[in-house]
Formats: sequence, structure tokens, C-alpha cells
Amino acid sequence: MHIPDAFIPIWQGAIYWIIALVFVALALRWARNEMNEEKLPLVAVLAAGIFALQSFNLPVSMGTSGHLVGGALAAIILGSPFAAVFILSLVLIVQGVLFGDGGITTMGANIINMGVIGGFVGFYSFKGLMGVTKSMPISGFVAAWLACLIPALACAVEMYFAGTFPLTEGLVAMGIYHAIIGVIEGFVTVAAIYLITSVRPDLVDTGVKTPAGAQVP
Amino acid sequence: MIEELFQIERDAFKDSPIHRLDARVKIAIAFAAIIALVAVPYSPMIYTVGAIFFAFFCVLWACTRLSPVIYLKRALAIIPLWGVIIFFQIFLKNKYYTTYDVVMSLPFGINIYAQSIEFAFILFVKFVVCISFIILLSSTTKMQDMLEGGARMGLPAEFALALGMMIRYLFVFGYMFRKINETLKTKCFDAFDRHLSYQYRLRQLGYMIGTMFIRSYEQGERVYTSMLCRGYGRESYLFVAKKGLKGGEWAFLSISLVFIIAIPVAVWLTSFHMF
Repeated sequence: MHIPDAFIPIWQGAIYWIIALVFVALALRWARNEMNEEKLPLVAVLAAGIFALQSFNLPVSMGTSGHLVGGALAAIILGSPFAAVFILSLVLIVQGVLFGDGGITTMGANIINMGVIGGFVGFYSFKGLMGVTKSMPISGFVAAWLACLIPALACAVEMYFAGTFPLTEGLVAMGIYHAIIGVIEGFVTVAAIYLITSVRPDLVDTGVKTPAGAQVP
Repeated sequence: MIEELFQIERDAFKDSPIHRLDARVKIAIAFAAIIALVAVPYSPMIYTVGAIFFAFFCVLWACTRLSPVIYLKRALAIIPLWGVIIFFQIFLKNKYYTTYDVVMSLPFGINIYAQSIEFAFILFVKFVVCISFIILLSSTTKMQDMLEGGARMGLPAEFALALGMMIRYLFVFGYMFRKINETLKTKCFDAFDRHLSYQYRLRQLGYMIGTMFIRSYEQGERVYTSMLCRGYGRESYLFVAKKGLKGGEWAFLSISLVFIIAIPVAVWLTSFHMF
């Protein structure tokens, strides 16, 4: 899902950068207000963990690559979609600048897909489902699945606008592939939330204080 | 990728004129080269611009005293993945061409077009040269220097601090991963052993990932607490000392930037083609 340099024309990359910067600015405001001395190590370890998760990268035919995203996990653990924007921005900077995974001119698009769309879809679908089902495993799984699938579809649309592959084939390829990857992402997200709420419930900010997710704000 | 991190950092700790350059100079040159390459339209003009930029990269790489094998290994770790995606372009039509000539017809109505082959090659050239500059930047700049360089260039303090912590955690993750992997090996656990039940293997892997996460977090928390005791804090990066570039660095940066801007413009204006 990391769109590399050259796959999006420079002017489109600039538009995505401008949109992404608006959300990055809001994420920075979140960091200034929320990221205290206790939370900083968690933010950093989540970023490193998501970096590791995203290392499992596979090509998707007709379009781009597929991997776990981690936006939902970050947003749920830290209790804000802007946390996901912040953390995914960190991950994308390291991946783009150190490893060449993703690009510099396309980083705006990648932040929008994985950080903004992934974070917001993951966080609000989790909150909504928790209100209805009161079950962390179900809510976490569905939220993570959606937060994997929808950014992938957005990526396909961006590549279509860029003229680097057709829309229908891209949506089908990315959709099917990430619907499958999303299942793995769902399990990993639920497992991570379960583990953290079991061992260190103080670290979770969404209000889920037991592994079953009984206590919702 | 975590294993690659250790190798990249080892390369960055070597010494050469390029290694000694201020991180800001290297970041500016790498980013400028990438932006210039991406700004070139999807046309055969990119062959000439790409060749000249790649020659520039080769000169810089030669100055790093790093083996070309290091570059090739790193490039080969990235290029095949996207090479597959670029390869698929030969079957696709796109908006950059109005007419398409079929070069070869395959079963199921799949065609290979001359224009699509050209487009795939254009993408490949752009992609490889962009990646080369990223490899050059990361192989010659320590992560800490890159971070400080970024902070001096205006990277927000919150990002700089969290990035610094994240990079530390990546190494902690790497060490934890090695340790836990060795422990599993001593227990003769193989995640791909089909004699074991799928549920059992999944549970073991889940424990492994979870343990790695919690141990890394707690290790990092201890380190961070001790850093706080020594006066380090979330405000620390707001006070990265100002450091001016030396005369030689200014000269190198200016000449490089002029070169990076002038080459595509000159090729475009003169319609000069090497290929």
C-alpha cells in the first residue's frame, strides 16, 4: 500500500501533501496536549511495532503492495484517531527515508491512506461497535478489518487518478487482497489489545479496561 | 527489515567525505533529486535525465567508499517488489497515451502494448534513480544525525523526540526478536511444522509477538525513566543547538542543487536525448 515515488505525478503528490499536512498539524496538537512523559514510550513502541508489522510486504497484481496497516491499533490504544496519524507519520518517515519503502513525494498520499483514513475508520468504527456490541474482540476485529480495507481502496483510487493503473482492476485487486489481509490485521489487533489490557490496562486510553471490553466510557 | 536496520547503521558509521557532510546537505540533495525526477513528465525525456542523475549518484557513491555490493543488495531488496508492479504496466492502457500498438496478443484477450512497455520503462527509471538517492542518504547518515538534521530543518520537536524513541525501540525490537527466536529454536518450535496443530502454532506466535511488544515497552520505559532522571525530557529537542554549514558544505550543496535543477530544464529546453 506504500505508493513509491514516480507512481503519482508531482502536482497530485503536492495536493496529497497539503491535505496530509492539515491532519499532521492536528496530530501535532494532539501530541502537544496528550503525549506526556508516560505516554511517549507507548507512542514510540507502537510506532516501532507497527513498523515491524508493516515489514511483511507482498505485491498485489495490477497495482501496488499489501501489508498490515496498524492504524486502528494505534487509534484504539491511544484513544484518538490523531494518534494514528501521528504514529503512522513517524512510521512512514522512517520507512521512506531509511528503507525506500514508500516515497518522499508520495508520503502525503500514504499518510492520508494509512494514517488519516486508517485511523479515523478504525477509531470510529471501534467506538460505534463497542457501543452496540460491548465486545472488544468483535469491535476490534471489524474496526481493524475496515481500517485495512478502506485505505487500500483509497490507494487504488489515487493510483487511478495518477494514471498508473485502471480503477476497476485496481479496486478488485486491492479490495480482495486487503479483505484477506484485513482478517490477519483483525486478529493481530484484537490480540494486541487483549494482551495490553490484560498486562497493562493503564496504557489503554479508549476506555477498554478489561480484555473483554466490558467497561466502555 | 529490522535486520537491515543494523546493516544500514553499520554503513552509516563508516567514514568518507560524504559521511562527514552535514545531514542537512545530504537530505536536501536527496530530496531535491527525487522531486526533480518525479517532476519530469512521463516521457522518454526521463531516460536522459535519469542517466545523468544516476551518473551523479554513482560519483557520490564512489566518494562514500562503500562497496557497490551494499548498494546492489539494498536496491535488490526493494526493486523486485515494485518491479513486479511495474512489469504489470505492460498489459495496461493509461491516460498518458492516446493510441496503443499491440506488440503481442496473449490468451484471454490480454495484450502487450508498445506504449505500455515504454511507460513501464519510464516508471522503472524514475523509481530506481529515486531509490538510489534514498539508499545513498541512509547509508551515509547516522540516524541520530538525520534526526538532528531534520530538527534543524524544521521537523517539529514532537516528531523529532518520538522518532528518536522509535528508532531506539526498533533496535530493542530487533534484539528481543533475536532472543525470543533463539528461545523458540531451543524448544525445537517451528511455526511451519505441519505436525503441530494450527491453533497451537498461532497461539505460540501470538505469545511471541505479545511478549516482544511488552518486553520492548518495559525495557524502553526503564531506559526512558533513566533518561528523565538525567534531565532529558520531551522538551529536549526544542533546544537542538544551532549549527551553521561550513563553506565547503554550502558550496557542495549549491552546486548540487543547481545541477539537479538545471539538468531536467536543459534537457527539456534543448530536447537533447542520449537514448
